[in-house]
Amino acid sequence: MSLSILQISSYGTLIIFIIGIIIRWKKWSSMPIHLRWELYPVPHEAGRFHYGGSYLEDIDWWNYERKTTLIGELKELFAEMLFIKRVYKYKRQLWWITYPFHTGIYLILIWFALLFLNSVIVYYGNVAISSNILWNQFIYYAVLIVGSIGIIITTLGTIGLLIKRYSDPSMRKYTTGIEYFNLLFILVTLITGIIAWYYDPDFSIAKTYMISLISFGNYSLPQLGNVIVVHIILLQLLWIYIPFSKMSHFIGKYFTYHKVLWDDTPNLRKSDIETKVKELVTLKLPWNAPHIKKNKTWLENVKGDYE
Amino acid sequence: MISKNKKYDIKIEDISKPITQMINLSLKDLMPLPPPYDKPDMEPECTEPKTEWREKYITELDGYIAIDIPWKPKTKEEEKILIEKFLNGLRNLLSQEGNWTFLQPLLLSLDYCAKCQTCSEACPIYISSGKKEIYRPTYRAEVLRRIYKRYLTPSGKILGKFVSGEIKLNANTIIRLAELSYRCTLCRRCTQTCPIGIDNGLITHELRKLFSSEMGIAPKPLHELGSVQQLKIGSSTGMSPEAFKDIIRFIEDELIPEKYGKRIKIPIDEKGADILLIHNAGEFLSWPENPAAFAILFEEAGISWTLSSDLVGYDAVNYGVWYDDVQLARVAIKHAEIARKLDVKKIVIGECGHAHKALTVIADRVLHDELNIPRESCLPILWDIVRRRKVNLDPNKNNFPVTLHDPCNIVRLMGIVQPQRNVLKEICPYFREMEPNGVYNYCCGGGSGFAIMQSMNFPEWRSKIASRMKFKQILLAFQKEILSNKPKYVCAPCSNCKGTFRDMLNYYKATERYNIHYGGLADLIVNAMVDLKKPFIEF
Repeated sequence: MSLSILQISSYGTLIIFIIGIIIRWKKWSSMPIHLRWELYPVPHEAGRFHYGGSYLEDIDWWNYERKTTLIGELKELFAEMLFIKRVYKYKRQLWWITYPFHTGIYLILIWFALLFLNSVIVYYGNVAISSNILWNQFIYYAVLIVGSIGIIITTLGTIGLLIKRYSDPSMRKYTTGIEYFNLLFILVTLITGIIAWYYDPDFSIAKTYMISLISFGNYSLPQLGNVIVVHIILLQLLWIYIPFSKMSHFIGKYFTYHKVLWDDTPNLRKSDIETKVKELVTLKLPWNAPHIKKNKTWLENVKGDYE
Repeated sequence: MISKNKKYDIKIEDISKPITQMINLSLKDLMPLPPPYDKPDMEPECTEPKTEWREKYITELDGYIAIDIPWKPKTKEEEKILIEKFLNGLRNLLSQEGNWTFLQPLLLSLDYCAKCQTCSEACPIYISSGKKEIYRPTYRAEVLRRIYKRYLTPSGKILGKFVSGEIKLNANTIIRLAELSYRCTLCRRCTQTCPIGIDNGLITHELRKLFSSEMGIAPKPLHELGSVQQLKIGSSTGMSPEAFKDIIRFIEDELIPEKYGKRIKIPIDEKGADILLIHNAGEFLSWPENPAAFAILFEEAGISWTLSSDLVGYDAVNYGVWYDDVQLARVAIKHAEIARKLDVKKIVIGECGHAHKALTVIADRVLHDELNIPRESCLPILWDIVRRRKVNLDPNKNNFPVTLHDPCNIVRLMGIVQPQRNVLKEICPYFREMEPNGVYNYCCGGGSGFAIMQSMNFPEWRSKIASRMKFKQILLAFQKEILSNKPKYVCAPCSNCKGTFRDMLNYYKATERYNIHYGGLADLIVNAMVDLKKPFIEF
């Protein structure tokens, strides 16, 4: 068993990526509970989402069990994730660019998943890579179609986004250097990917590389050309960079929607929320305005004599 | 003035430049209004601020003044102190201790905006102004984001403008940013369109908090004459408990007998009632018919209720919800303490949008233990009265065109959409919706405190820019009958919206010219009561 530096760094990339995502997730999930700030329509409101209604439309709402629908929430979630509904509805010209970009990324992720699945089946299922069985036929076409479409539309989308961001004055003046850098980073990685694809038109090297990763070096690594090596290195750097950049907005988006805009959970007596609130009001205020008693707790500041 | 050069495209960093005024509003640039306001001379031109205002107040943004306290730094030393205070405030805003109340939503919105500008077209102020860059929902958010990145993050400190973008923190930036935080009504329509869920309305809210909680800077009508006065005297209107009781006597002795034909005893401080009803105290002074209508309906429906004459207990307003969490919590706690003292089963909020949101939703995670008293809107109760025929109604008494304004706080921010519509469909044969409506409505232009901010030239900006989209909606809703003499009624179940409509209709002379009126929902229900000898609503 022998592992190349590239393979070792591939494992390292995955570990750093996962740790990075966990750190990001922890950062947001460990923040204190905030005041309610929901915005309607809220999709888990059963039977009311279509007009934006809420349980607050009922008299004595606290006496009844809230009717919520997970399916409603998931429908809205997927409409936004898979179709970027709001951009489609409110800024169609941008949607024609951002939709292929994001869909292309999903396809590339599916492509990775197919490579991974294939490696597990081939290596652990002892399937000969050259045999003509149905799985090999399926994976051949699936990887080819998904990978080809994925890389092409993501590349076109990235170029489109760069052009749009630079040519549209309302976007250009708001865009900072790092935001161009992010798009250029993706573009360079994709371009090296396209060149690598030229040398590996049916992704057989990619498949073998993944099997060698899965086998921890027991499966021999194919001969990799310089372009492929450069591409893999860039891809690794990109994966490492994602959790620490704005590209991790897929995590942020979960919190903005589920934990802010759709968080309409009422604070009922003796609930977890009430317990958390009781802890938070003991924090000491650092503000300096004359109407606030600095270094006194929230509770001391809002109850009784605060004149 | 940058805007005099028509080709000049305002950039984020221009906020720090030493120029007299960033933009200059002109009637010809504004969003056109529909007929009959499409003709010349139907509205006055935008005015310039007076010279003496320029010296004392902040006119460096657009020439209009929202913050009516003098706080402009005069020397370099004062500028330095201002910058230090601002940065300290920003640190507090980003701390758990200072801002657990909104820390997570704020940081999410600062970190993840893609600057795609999908939200711009949703903003009535940006569109009404003729798309002035400084009013774009992302403009003030981006200024704050750049300051935060540049001055408070390690990456910004090391990599500078590559990470933060171009920005300079000086007195101009701070004073303009403060004014700019009062050019958004916090309607949050922009947030509805954001694919990532970024909330530019929230960023505006947080900016206001920074200025208030750290530097004591807020418009007088919100702070000094608003929440401070309410906590001290009992009401932001300046109404004392005695004055409140006098008004109630007037409603009992004169207003109700005259309108209703019989006397009603309005319960005050009745312990053990089911409901503590809290109105916006502005109703008692400006529209006493509305609390009178509630008294009539609750009496007819046999509801057990009371008003409170306790300090703060007769005024539902809670201006803190727009600019300062501590003030918000102080007023909310007073409301809850009074309800506890009266031993009522629940608090019901009258027709006041921000009071609805403040006490029912926002303060929900402030009130705990015995102060966590059930609170709800009056609108489902009004619908229940109509639906169950607890009063005898004849819809033909409302034989005039009616449209409904959806107060942002009650509808978009609380999801109370149908009860008020159900009432109108039942009692107003000539009811028609505005477009768009419901949770996608446009703000009246008076949201976030603008309705009560009457200093210097701010009312002109409010009527001309902030209310322009709503005025357009009203004209379109009544377009078919606009030239007829028939009275037209904009139903606005919110005190601040009503105040805004009063000023808007007056500014555009729409009542005088086209007989357009405004009023509450309870008033319309009472107007339809069979037993009333003469109309409750008089045009």
